[in-house]
Amino acid sequence: MNEFTERQMKLTWRAPKESYDVVIVGAGGHGLATAYYLATRHGITNVGVFERGYIGGGNSGRNTTIIRANYGIPAAVRFYQRSVDLYRGLEEETDRWLMHQQKGILWMAHSEAAVRAERMRAKLNTEFGAETEFVGPRQVEELCPQLDMSGGGRWPVLGASYHPQGATARHDRVVWALAEGAMERGAHVHQNTPVEGLILDGKRVAGVRTAAGNVAAGVVVSAVGGHVSRLAAMAGLRLPIRTHRLQAFVTNHYRQQFGPIVASSELFFYASQTARGEMLLGAEIDPQPSFSYRSSHDFVQHVCRRALCLLPFMSDLRVLRQWTGVCDMSPDYSPIMGRTGVPGFFITTGWGTWGFKAIPAGGEQIAELIATGETPELIAPFGLDRFARDRTMADRGSAGTH
Amino acid sequence: MTALLVNGQRVEARAGDSLLIAMLRAGLHPTGGGCLCLGGDCPNCLVTVDGVAYTRSCQVKAEAGMTVTRDHAGGEPALLSDQATWAESAAPVRHIHCDTVVIGQGESGREAAREAREAGFDVVTLDARDGQHVTGVYPGPLVVAADGGGRVLHVHPRREIVVATGAAEIQPVVSGSDLEGLVTARAAAELVAASIDLGRAVAVGEPPGELPSGSLAGHFPLGHGGWELVRFEGAGRVEAVVLRTRGDGEAAEERIECDTAVLGLGRNPRNALARMASDLPVRVVGGAATEPELPPCPGEGTVCPCSGVTVADLDGVWERGFHEMELLKRATLAGTGTCQGGVCLPYLRSFLLERGGRLQPAFTARPLNRQLTVRELAAGAHTAVTARSPLHDEHLRLGARMDRAGGWWRPWTYGRQDDEYRSVRERVSLGDVSSLGKMAISGPDAEAFLERIVPTRVATIRPGRCRYVLMLDERAHLLDDGMLCREADQDAGDRFFLTSTSGGSGFFELWMRDWAEAFGCDVRILNQTASLAAFNVTGPQAARLLARAGALELPAFGRHRRVRVAGVECRIVRLSFTGELSYELHHPAADARKLWRRLLEAGAAFGVQPHGLEALLRLRLEKGHIVIGQDTDYDSTPRRLAHEWAVSLDKGDFVGRRAIVRTNKQPLDKRLVMLRTDDPPPGSVEAPSAEGAAIHDGDRYAGYVTSDTGTAAGGGATMLGWLYLDAEGRLPREVTVDGRPARRVDGPTYDPQGERARAAVDVASESPENVREFPVTRLEATDVAAGAPAERPRLRRLEATRVSATPGALDALVADPLWPATALAFRTAPDELLVTATPDFEVAGDPHAIVERETAFSYVWLDGTTAERFLDRECEWRRPSARPALAQGEVAGIPAKLWFEAGRTLILTPAPFAAAFERRLTASLAEVDGDAE
Ligand SMILES: Cc1cc2nc3c(=O)[nH]c(=O)nc-3n(C[C@H](O)[C@H](O)[C@H](O)COP(=O)(O)OP(=O)(O)OC[C@H]3O[C@@H](n4cnc5c(N)ncnc54)[C@H](O)[C@@H]3O)c2cc1C
Ligand code: FES
Repeated sequence: MNEFTERQMKLTWRAPKESYDVVIVGAGGHGLATAYYLATRHGITNVGVFERGYIGGGNSGRNTTIIRANYGIPAAVRFYQRSVDLYRGLEEETDRWLMHQQKGILWMAHSEAAVRAERMRAKLNTEFGAETEFVGPRQVEELCPQLDMSGGGRWPVLGASYHPQGATARHDRVVWALAEGAMERGAHVHQNTPVEGLILDGKRVAGVRTAAGNVAAGVVVSAVGGHVSRLAAMAGLRLPIRTHRLQAFVTNHYRQQFGPIVASSELFFYASQTARGEMLLGAEIDPQPSFSYRSSHDFVQHVCRRALCLLPFMSDLRVLRQWTGVCDMSPDYSPIMGRTGVPGFFITTGWGTWGFKAIPAGGEQIAELIATGETPELIAPFGLDRFARDRTMADRGSAGTH
Repeated sequence: MTALLVNGQRVEARAGDSLLIAMLRAGLHPTGGGCLCLGGDCPNCLVTVDGVAYTRSCQVKAEAGMTVTRDHAGGEPALLSDQATWAESAAPVRHIHCDTVVIGQGESGREAAREAREAGFDVVTLDARDGQHVTGVYPGPLVVAADGGGRVLHVHPRREIVVATGAAEIQPVVSGSDLEGLVTARAAAELVAASIDLGRAVAVGEPPGELPSGSLAGHFPLGHGGWELVRFEGAGRVEAVVLRTRGDGEAAEERIECDTAVLGLGRNPRNALARMASDLPVRVVGGAATEPELPPCPGEGTVCPCSGVTVADLDGVWERGFHEMELLKRATLAGTGTCQGGVCLPYLRSFLLERGGRLQPAFTARPLNRQLTVRELAAGAHTAVTARSPLHDEHLRLGARMDRAGGWWRPWTYGRQDDEYRSVRERVSLGDVSSLGKMAISGPDAEAFLERIVPTRVATIRPGRCRYVLMLDERAHLLDDGMLCREADQDAGDRFFLTSTSGGSGFFELWMRDWAEAFGCDVRILNQTASLAAFNVTGPQAARLLARAGALELPAFGRHRRVRVAGVECRIVRLSFTGELSYELHHPAADARKLWRRLLEAGAAFGVQPHGLEALLRLRLEKGHIVIGQDTDYDSTPRRLAHEWAVSLDKGDFVGRRAIVRTNKQPLDKRLVMLRTDDPPPGSVEAPSAEGAAIHDGDRYAGYVTSDTGTAAGGGATMLGWLYLDAEGRLPREVTVDGRPARRVDGPTYDPQGERARAAVDVASESPENVREFPVTRLEATDVAAGAPAERPRLRRLEATRVSATPGALDALVADPLWPATALAFRTAPDELLVTATPDFEVAGDPHAIVERETAFSYVWLDGTTAERFLDRECEWRRPSARPALAQGEVAGIPAKLWFEAGRTLILTPAPFAAAFERRLTASLAEVDGDAE
């Protein structure tokens, strides 16, 4: 037995019913969190979550698990801050070990232009409630003694923005704890049951066609990842989403010695050490849209090269495994949540490369919308109609990164 | 004899010993125990070798001086090695191109290689026994392997990948399977061949094929009619195997004493490489192609030695609902270890089959199949190069601190910030803006094309005039800005010169070519970003300085003209970013240093002082000029930016027009505004920059600051920032920034009427004795053909001519060249030609052809062997085999053009990257990492 073997959670599987008050498509973090908060906050438990594969098998089980709130626009900072707060209480609330670790995130600057950008990030975020400060080289070194402050002689660390609330958690456990919490209150989760179509009653979405038969629904929530455009098309919606690959890799596991999360926007990578002891590295999306889950050598090769500039100690670590997820990117790098204009059909998508941290708040808010019929203020700016209304939520703090 | 150290103990190895054999010979088991396979399939022989943990000791040769730690029994290896210096270098790479690569050289692999060779194919073979550990099969196709000698091989097969990796032996999972003294049947044969004493050996299952007779004390077949393995007994090392008759739960156990248990439990294909290859041209042969054998569902013991997962652990999570293979794996970590499920996957499948009655597929095979180190994986990669202006060394000479901005090294400051600023405002200053994107555009449709690319009206730009233009995307969000000049010389037909911001030019060229194609416009486009250097001569004395350098005929505001300055042909454009009288001098990059020095010399009388980027950012801010990326975002429409004046909606369609029309119907929500604070905090000369600070309108959050230089020039500060309209749709006038009162201002705070930038100049009064004539020395084109490979390769700037013309016209030109026979001509694109000759030829077939002096490239000749050596390491793509031949692509992470002749190779690379290329070339030939300086 290793200490990471799951010993607490219990998942209860039941046969699908012919109808649910709420059908959620996709049992990733967002779908399950919606079910969880519907059950725990609103007592709505006649809920069926339909998943094509296994729970958390999409990006919720493939991401680099970074949780932070220092984004680029006030609406985003407020929303993510809510999520960071919910994450902090989630272990206690679910009574499950989610390996939540607050470790702080450092964003390196290697040029004067970047120093200004990081100073600005710090100021803007602190102003909107996500504490972030600009720290000089000496403090950076104290926070992360393993850094080569000269950046291999070419990418010197001139300072960094530091967001102490930056955290990580074990992605699978977050997914499972939410599934368990929803299931034990009566919600159903069905694996290996893809939703193949929507049942329309006039313009209204009234159910789903699944591999296991038709299921009627009071409302349908799309929480699918990776192929959201196809599902939305069934409801007659065209989404401003493009899907891109995002890759990551881990090394073997080593003794716990690397404290914070370290990121560099000029060298395009970020790194942290997992609870298991692996060094976990990620970078930016592939520029070309794609649905391929294929990993490339080019990715691991270039991220290793760049990481060596700042973290030369990694030189002799062995890389264990690399993988790929496909990310639904919105044009303004902000999520799309809420009503769709099609009655009975709600959506939570556009989670791109940044949606793991948003799981609790995203689920909580969508659940509130379904339960009350009112769009909560926190997510009102993120509606799908913002594109038609020319109210996009351009967020430089999120563009293409964790 | 070879001596090495294992946990401080001296161990002697024989020639040819693997590290594992050497250790076993010395009586040392590498880890806490577990069955050894000697095939690289299990995690039971992992050790740390010279600081590299998780090394399979059966897969490396024992070498003199190795320091080995058996640390896995004692916990996790350290993340940080205790060596004081860390190598920041990547391992060297070899690119190998072939038709077929065969992975595995067992019988079936040798056979496959022979067949392919006989069919005339170029075959590369890789085998772990020769130290070549294949880590992955990737799209490309690309096969990546360590070569055992510290190098990494990137094999690029054109035709086929043959996976002939054989089969792995199934490991035992029963109680006691983590004892020492257990070996697989194949391992036993190998150990005996290496004359390692197995003591009293007992075989279970299939017996080893090649053991000398009599070396086995007993043999117990398994399966139908045979035996069932119950457990191993022993303390630390196996002392007995316990068996019973198969299928008979009542049968008494038999205990057979032994020193070594030899286990023939069946085989499973090593097919991970084939599985991760999916749609690549892969053929699997031999043992790797066999169907997996499922072992019986284990009753107890460790299923996954990598992660220490027992059957009880599997049961624990199964009972709590983790029924999918992936969930079982994730909930226990079984299958996530060094062997990537090699040992445990068959058992996980048989476990799930028994518990759930459903045979589940293997989990996805992902790279890496063999764990290379970070420095090995980094092999062949380079960090992004930062371009250097032709004045890079001049800036350093003047004490500049260089900074990366927009992909270029720019002088941030020369260490005299205030004087740099004042020299512009009060005297005259030089600023290097060579990094600006520069495009020449001509052709019958040039005007029509530009009308559709920029929102400004182009038709009204008269010859010799220039105008500030925006460039929008289809959503009408600002991509870039620049100035558009229409050539004065109308004989040339419609011809334009367009600049863009630094960093954007590569993207911008593609963007324009894309649209030109989409619109079907007949245009020639030549990217002159690296061809032309540019300085800004700015300040009240700018005209006088230029006059003294011989330029008496200067363009008026909003115009441009070709003028000879200090003997150098320049295009002088007169607009202004600094707010002062400004002339932008565009000229051949090769002449930049000469011109720069002469202007500094001529300006000495006026107290000239070059200014860096920091001063420039402050100067422009006082004029309210935006900086793309700093003041703009993904939603910045001209309306939000208050740049409606740069948009002509009544001129016909252009990129972004429809979005503007649509969004104009929506009420405006925010606007980029200029703010002015009047009271710097008492007692402080320098207020900290307010960039990122929130703007408040009373209690209402009303936006944030995007630009502020932080210094309170003239008693207050000017800022740019986003300001949200209030509920009544009004932009507030009085706001606070960081609690400080600030006022929105409608125009620039500095010289609001723009009188200084537009000032009329009169240089006729410049006394003639002050005007210096400079000799015009026209450089001859480089006699590149005569160049010889040098001992120490050095890159030199190429003098050449570049032509952009219709493909047909270029075909005709190349067929009947107008340049000396010694010159080389490279057809770099269907519509582009680079000739190492002076531009005294015309393109008969295309009146719109662009023919320009080209000094954007640096070149070096390498002799054939040196070139091969360099390119094998630094060129990923297949080179042409014909001679002579031209090829273009990335080399050492830098774009290059290669001209292959018999016995020598010419390399051309953009001059802004020449220094980096030379460094990488030199380092590569010395087999060191060229990225480190
Ligand atoms: C490599 C990588 C690193 C990342 N790093 C971070 C990070 O550090 N921090 C961060 O905050 N975010 C990160 N992300 C982003 C984050 O993982 C995602 O935004 C988040 O997991 C999205 O959750 P989700 O529930 O919306 O989607 P998913 O988890 O993808 O779930 C969607 C589910 O829908 C299912 N589905 C799809 N179609 C159907 C159908 N027709 N019927 C039924 N089910 C269907 C899928 O199988 C899937 O399980 C990263 C992503 C990747 C790929
Ligand atoms: S035994 Fe290696 S991963 Fe399970």
